[in-house]
Amino acid sequence: MCTTVLREICKTFPKYTSKQFRVFVSLRSLGYASREYAHEERDPAPFFFDSNVQSLLRTLTRVDLNKVFRKRKTGDLKLEQPTYKFLTDEQLQDALKEAHEKSSQLLQIPPVIKVRKPIDTVISNDPALQGLETSKFVFTDISYGIKYSQRIIVVRETDGTLRHADWDVRERMNQLYFPEHGRKLKIPRMFENTNLESLLNRKEYIFLLDRACIQFEPDDANYQRVTSITYQHINDNNDFEILRSTRHFGALAFFLTWFKNIDNLVLDLLETLHIEEVNVLLQLYEKLHDQSFGAEKSDEVEALIIYINKAASKKGPLELAVQAYKDLKKQRLQLEKGIQAAHGLT
Amino acid sequence: MLPPGSGTGQFSQFSKKAIRFVRKGCTNRPFFHIVVAEQRKEQFMPVIEQVGSYDPIPNEYNEKLVSLNFERIRHWIGNGASISQPVQELLGLSGFLPIHPRSYMTAWRNRRAEKLNDSVETKEKAENVDSQTSK
Repeated sequence: MCTTVLREICKTFPKYTSKQFRVFVSLRSLGYASREYAHEERDPAPFFFDSNVQSLLRTLTRVDLNKVFRKRKTGDLKLEQPTYKFLTDEQLQDALKEAHEKSSQLLQIPPVIKVRKPIDTVISNDPALQGLETSKFVFTDISYGIKYSQRIIVVRETDGTLRHADWDVRERMNQLYFPEHGRKLKIPRMFENTNLESLLNRKEYIFLLDRACIQFEPDDANYQRVTSITYQHINDNNDFEILRSTRHFGALAFFLTWFKNIDNLVLDLLETLHIEEVNVLLQLYEKLHDQSFGAEKSDEVEALIIYINKAASKKGPLELAVQAYKDLKKQRLQLEKGIQAAHGLT
Repeated sequence: MLPPGSGTGQFSQFSKKAIRFVRKGCTNRPFFHIVVAEQRKEQFMPVIEQVGSYDPIPNEYNEKLVSLNFERIRHWIGNGASISQPVQELLGLSGFLPIHPRSYMTAWRNRRAEKLNDSVETKEKAENVDSQTSK
């Protein structure tokens, strides 16, 4: 059906080639648009790096050590035989403490910052050099001990202009002369929209986000495109459980809260009876949007009800979920009372 | 195994040094290392230090890639090393030195050759058209 329609369009507009159409189709089939932290809008970095916000995001991540130290698709790493040890209670506590410290390292949330501005600084313009070369020159400073971001990379154009290199050239040169393990010189094809969609449908979120973290810098527009589309897909399909106890959950929660889209997450938390996490999420919302629901003091649904009235977009389902939560709580209380009565304790 | 970038060449303190190309790569595929070596030594003898590289064949983005360790180049220039002319041209294009006069000359000659070529082509075309119309 879709192809026949396209064929019709092709006939009526002969200026489009089939290749252009492939791009057209692939863009259309992915139902999500990129939502970046654009550089002309509010800056998320000061909020994200605030220690209170970091601890809220950690709480929402809900650390489960079994999942943090799970077997992972590492590709080139050989698996090791596990070792079993007899430990005293003290040694066991020490080992657990060590594991917790290591987990907090593994769960460091990838930074959330604005998309970087394009580079367009021209250093000099020398029209007398026209005709010298038919190709550009790219000069890279390979002095030791310079940061990636501060390395001088300049381009001499064929018309004699000397300018600072664009971001994509910079990344290419940095990767060429100082390769980073796991990063490819060209962007892997899995990040193209068609392949991205197939990965999303197979729910390979962790693979996608891990690889995006290695391949791109966090202020790259491509990074924010891939991650934002993934987060939106997760939000729409309620797949929050897949990302829990990974380093990406904090970034997901921050993204949803920043763009005022937390209703699905709240519903998910309510259904699994994590009311304290709902309050943490509402605290995060208060911090990012300068609103007040009294989430810090409430330990039940009071703050949530204020949120539903003030800011929620899915009011109906949320109210129903709150009612269901209250009923369940009441039933449990009754059950407990019944058990106590049966034991003759009251 | 490749020799280290810090070089393996023996050199005396007061000998004349030069920053110059060494041709690496293979037949029909030039690639140059930019090195510091004693001026009297031959091209393929062990060098004092490698300070950069130059790939004269454009890549798929139509770029010629040059890498330069400016910190070490500054150091060796300060110690009185001379720079060979092709390297001077590269350093000029990179904005590190003033542009070498030879670069301007080459550019000007290329432009002149192109102009000549264009005028010859237009003349030939005009003649072709004339001969066709006279027939």
